[in-house]
Amino acid sequence: MISVYRSGTSILHRLPPGLKLIGFIGLSLLIAATTTHLLEVVSASTFVMTGYALAGLGVRALASQVLSVRWVVIFMLVPQLLFLPALDAVTNTARVVLILALAALFTMTTRIPDLLDAAERAASPLRRVGIRPESVALLLALSITSIPVIAGFAATVRDAQRARGIPAHRVSFAVPLLIMSLKHADDLADAVSSRGIEQ
Amino acid sequence: MNADRLISFRAVSVDFDNRTALDDVSVLLDQKRIAVIGSNGSGKSTFARLLNGLASASRGEVRVHGIDPVRQGRLLRRRVGFIFSNPDSQIVMPTVAEDIAFTLRGRGLSRTEVDERVSRMIDTYGLSGHEDSPAHSLSGGQKQLLAMSSVLVGEPELIVADEPTALLDAANTRRISNHLLDHMPQQLVLVTHDLRLARRCDVVLWFDQGRLFRQGDPHTVIADYERNHA
Repeated sequence: MISVYRSGTSILHRLPPGLKLIGFIGLSLLIAATTTHLLEVVSASTFVMTGYALAGLGVRALASQVLSVRWVVIFMLVPQLLFLPALDAVTNTARVVLILALAALFTMTTRIPDLLDAAERAASPLRRVGIRPESVALLLALSITSIPVIAGFAATVRDAQRARGIPAHRVSFAVPLLIMSLKHADDLADAVSSRGIEQ
Repeated sequence: MNADRLISFRAVSVDFDNRTALDDVSVLLDQKRIAVIGSNGSGKSTFARLLNGLASASRGEVRVHGIDPVRQGRLLRRRVGFIFSNPDSQIVMPTVAEDIAFTLRGRGLSRTEVDERVSRMIDTYGLSGHEDSPAHSLSGGQKQLLAMSSVLVGEPELIVADEPTALLDAANTRRISNHLLDHMPQQLVLVTHDLRLARRCDVVLWFDQGRLFRQGDPHTVIADYERNHA
């Protein structure tokens, strides 16, 4: 669920990012702590759907976000069904999906530069202990951007190993992935420097 | 000599891990389009990286438009844009518009000014309709256009492009090279293995084993280069 910003003028788009982030964290905690029965799951789902409607994103965007975490759903639901009553297993899984859908709603209605500005402001007290808030914001941006790149490296390593008939193994997979990721980190540092951004 | 776009190297050497990547290079350049050619490992990328402070001279003196890359690195990087061969390594932000806007962070511009400059780049480089697209989902050619937009939005005076068409197909190579060589008002240093592109420049520098082996008129230098590599 690596959502990116969808432009819009809704109330959710216009909320200050810092306030929105605090609100979304609070709501996620509330869902995690209180959604324990089917009726509460239905209420929380209605609430999340209302959020998507308010943002002008609609059912399709919500469905696509839920679909993108289908493996998480299967991974969580199947083992629980073996040991817990079906209703409890579904409730537990639904809670996680709802929180992920909320996180996606946040990223789809918040421009990353605005989020960085908010992170920079929030990290400004760290300047007193020698940490530059701009570096904290940059770290956040690069972490978000690097997720699809590293996923791409993982696919490349898997394909290269399959092409050479190398059986799947954690070490033979992790070592080239680590090397590619470190090389990417070096290149990215050069790219950031060359754009005149201090690290 | 045009002092506004003077690049000067005086007895410059660069050492890496007991190896000399660039050996005693002295050159004065004020041409608008400068091509840099040579075999792999000949020192041409090191030469390019010195121009915006990504590498430092071990000995000698470099000046780019009067700026000392060592003492005035930050100022230099705002005046010199760098385009790398792999556009994936240049994408810093998740979406196209955000990545272009990233270059303008910390420059004291208003949101309106940033949005205007970003829109202009998106229109100029044919990325309209992709503003909010994930940058990594673009095609190779579009990613390189994004990389160029992200550099040019900062309005640099000099563009250094290190094999910018190395990973592109023929159509995208033509598109990117036409932008770089025909439509940009800035001074350009183009590191390339593509001799057709080097021929379109005003001067060619030929590097060999870390030394500036020859420099001069593109047709003469490239004819010698081709004979040497036949």
